[in-house]
Amino acid sequence: MSLVLLIARNEGRLMRRNRVAQLAVLMLLLLSVVATLTSVAHRDASDALRARFQAQADSAFDGQPARHPHRMVHYGHFVFRPLPALAAFDPGVDPFTGSTIFLEGHRQNSANFGDVRQSSLLARFGSLTPAFVLQVLAPLVLIFVGFGAVAREREQGTLRVLKAHGTTTGALVAGKLLALGTIAALMLLPALLSLAWLVAVEGAALAAAFALGFGYAGYLLLWTVGIVAVSSAVRSARTALMALLSLWAFAIVLVPRVAPDVALAMVPSPTRLETDIAVHRDLRRIGDSHDPDDPHFNAFKADVLRRYGVDTVELLPVNYRGLLAMEGERLTSGLFDAYARAQFKGEREQGNIVAAFGLLSPTIALRSLSMALAGTDLEAHRSFLQQAEAYRYAIVQQLNQLQAEAVTYADDGSRNSDPEAGRRVRIDPRHWHDIPDFAYRGPSLHERLMAAGLSAAVLLVWALLVGLALRAAMRRLGRAF
Amino acid sequence: MSLWLHELRLFLRQPVALPTLLLMLLLSGASVWAGLSEVARQRETIARIQPQQAEDEAALAAWVPERGDAGDAAYYSFHPTWDAPSTLAFAALGQRDIAPYILRIRALALEGQIHESENYNAELALPGRFDWAFVLAYLAPLFLILLLHDIFSGEREAGRHQFLTVMARSSRRMWARRVLLRGGLLSAMLLLPFAVGALLSGSGLPALAVAGVAALYLIVWTLICVGVARAGRRSLANAASLAALWLFLTLVAPGLALLAINGAIPVRQGVELTLAQREAVHAGWDKPKAATMDAFFRYHPEWRNTPPVEGGFHWKWYHAFQHLGDRSVADQAAAYRDGLKARDLWTRRIGYVLPAVGAQVAIHRLAQTDLEAQQAYEDRIRAYYDRLRRFYYPYIFDDRPFTAEDFQRAPRWQEAPPA
Repeated sequence: MSLVLLIARNEGRLMRRNRVAQLAVLMLLLLSVVATLTSVAHRDASDALRARFQAQADSAFDGQPARHPHRMVHYGHFVFRPLPALAAFDPGVDPFTGSTIFLEGHRQNSANFGDVRQSSLLARFGSLTPAFVLQVLAPLVLIFVGFGAVAREREQGTLRVLKAHGTTTGALVAGKLLALGTIAALMLLPALLSLAWLVAVEGAALAAAFALGFGYAGYLLLWTVGIVAVSSAVRSARTALMALLSLWAFAIVLVPRVAPDVALAMVPSPTRLETDIAVHRDLRRIGDSHDPDDPHFNAFKADVLRRYGVDTVELLPVNYRGLLAMEGERLTSGLFDAYARAQFKGEREQGNIVAAFGLLSPTIALRSLSMALAGTDLEAHRSFLQQAEAYRYAIVQQLNQLQAEAVTYADDGSRNSDPEAGRRVRIDPRHWHDIPDFAYRGPSLHERLMAAGLSAAVLLVWALLVGLALRAAMRRLGRAF
Repeated sequence: MSLWLHELRLFLRQPVALPTLLLMLLLSGASVWAGLSEVARQRETIARIQPQQAEDEAALAAWVPERGDAGDAAYYSFHPTWDAPSTLAFAALGQRDIAPYILRIRALALEGQIHESENYNAELALPGRFDWAFVLAYLAPLFLILLLHDIFSGEREAGRHQFLTVMARSSRRMWARRVLLRGGLLSAMLLLPFAVGALLSGSGLPALAVAGVAALYLIVWTLICVGVARAGRRSLANAASLAALWLFLTLVAPGLALLAINGAIPVRQGVELTLAQREAVHAGWDKPKAATMDAFFRYHPEWRNTPPVEGGFHWKWYHAFQHLGDRSVADQAAAYRDGLKARDLWTRRIGYVLPAVGAQVAIHRLAQTDLEAQQAYEDRIRAYYDRLRRFYYPYIFDDRPFTAEDFQRAPRWQEAPPA
């Protein structure tokens, strides 16, 4: 064991002498700190802003004057997606999805004002967050520090000297791993501190933060072992550097960009406009409430009259127009749901294709793991969309119900010709207070851990592969002794 | 000439040479193919929506004239707009994957419609596109580093440096020849697929400008490589320094710049203006009708002498407060737009210092896939929207019935004339 420590200490001394490596590690640590501070500040500011806008929208809704309930259906409501605390570590898809949706009757709108659309081209270079620093930059710095670990000894013929002193291949490699692993741990430190801070101060879930730290530690360990394995397997330090740089460019820069193109080519997404047109087409097929001969709405009317035991809509104890609005909303919302489900299904298929590329690049697997644990993956956004849609449906139907119960059929029909009736259909604004506020429920810890499961499995496969590569490299090295 | 051939033979004999060149060719080719197919997909989508749109319109034209109400026609008619990709868009897709290139609008207040986003899979957009501009800006410098970092030190480490310098008629020319050969071959591998793509999509002169920008970018990186290589350290140290420089110039510095720009120029007005616009529009229902109409007539005096609005509801009053809603947030909309422009302007300035940013900015401008192009599309939507509004107004203000033929008379979206 002391031999391993001795080798590690010796390697550490060499690393300290390497100016490029030193500079790289320093730069990375500095970037980590900058990324952490700005990322936390940005998350806090965004979240506070969203909370303020939400409060503003809620009070604006509650403060509306006396109105016809259907007017409120069109006035609609805004909901904002709050940012989970761990978004300060990995913002995930949040900058791309937009954080606010306008909810109104008869329509399903999309989320708007994503950061990326409001940023310049620079946003597509990747934004500096703790997750980005660890996913993309840390492996590269590790490569600079560690590429020569074993290859250099081999090149300079010091391997034979070590052998003469009784060093085994195992001890040599273990010592190098220990030295490089220490650097990796050092690079992980600012991120771990920021996670601890997010748990302690911002109330992030401890288990999720712990799993995140564990995931990133495993990822850096993968690279550490991979770097030592390549350094052991090749003849010269130069070849090791070239091979490792190529691996880095392939796994971190290239594959993550190519995978989405493949996914899009295999599963195309329909445009919003086409979905809109399709919804309208299907609606026309179902029925037109304006058409006196429409079979669907005639059947609906007959059913309502039968239920209340009256002969005409005028004799109903409730406002038939309100019932009609409820039926119409039920039909459109059913269609929205069907199309949204189809879209989510397509997105999940695309996501699965990208996930399969995780077998070519551990970075893809780590990225999904990280976003899932932080609660900033697409699944969490979809959950927001579904909750917003459920909320939209609930408030629109509540308002339609008000139209059915608080407004008479006669007044509703003559509200445009008779000013008195027009006044009576404006119901008391206290009703707006009775509409509940939107409460977003983020993915639970259990859901987040489950969502991260598949990526964790892919990373384990990588651990196995890298372990095997190290064993093969050690065998070659043993022969070279 | 024979000297060049000799150098070529020497170069190709190196084990790293041919694989590097072929890989560059492959990656460049793949990116051009990906770009061309994405552009074809976008054109196909634009073509595909036309018959669907026509069907949608026909269905509307079948029931509106029964009542002959122009208000219904204006309210229910969605008019498609689209922004076809330029012939160079395949090389630099820009934000065309996340900003809508198709948008339907109707003659209601525009501000509530124009910021609508497209359905796209955010997880796919997250890493950025694999297009030719990406291969140029990120990957080509790495390949140059691979080929040039040891151009002097490699010979020195092999013990041939002295010999070579003495043997050559002009050592300066010899080294220049080597650098030119390596850089030139790599550039050719990168530019060849682009040229094929440009020919296939018929992009003409601007393609030459893109090639010029690319050449300039590669020259900058060649100079950086030669500069570091001449500092006279060992190959390994050169490679590491160059890779670190690459990392800083293409990933770290742009990331820091983004933080700085977004911090210095906040643009949360997007949400604010939508919230404000909704308030303005819906307040219209409760204001005295005469006040609303008077305010509207200030912008449109030509309708002042039409019959006054009486009773509960009239479409002209509805359209009046829709328009006033837009007018009330016009300043905010302009500020939002200016904020985005300011961010873009600063990005351009960063581009003077950071070669990767400069090259991206220039190529996206030439390919018309940058913010300026997006805003130009928005401008055309605004102009078209104005035409639509003015098309419906005479029917609504003069109470003219809207017939099936009138649907045919509605202004149609015009594609932008090629630049």
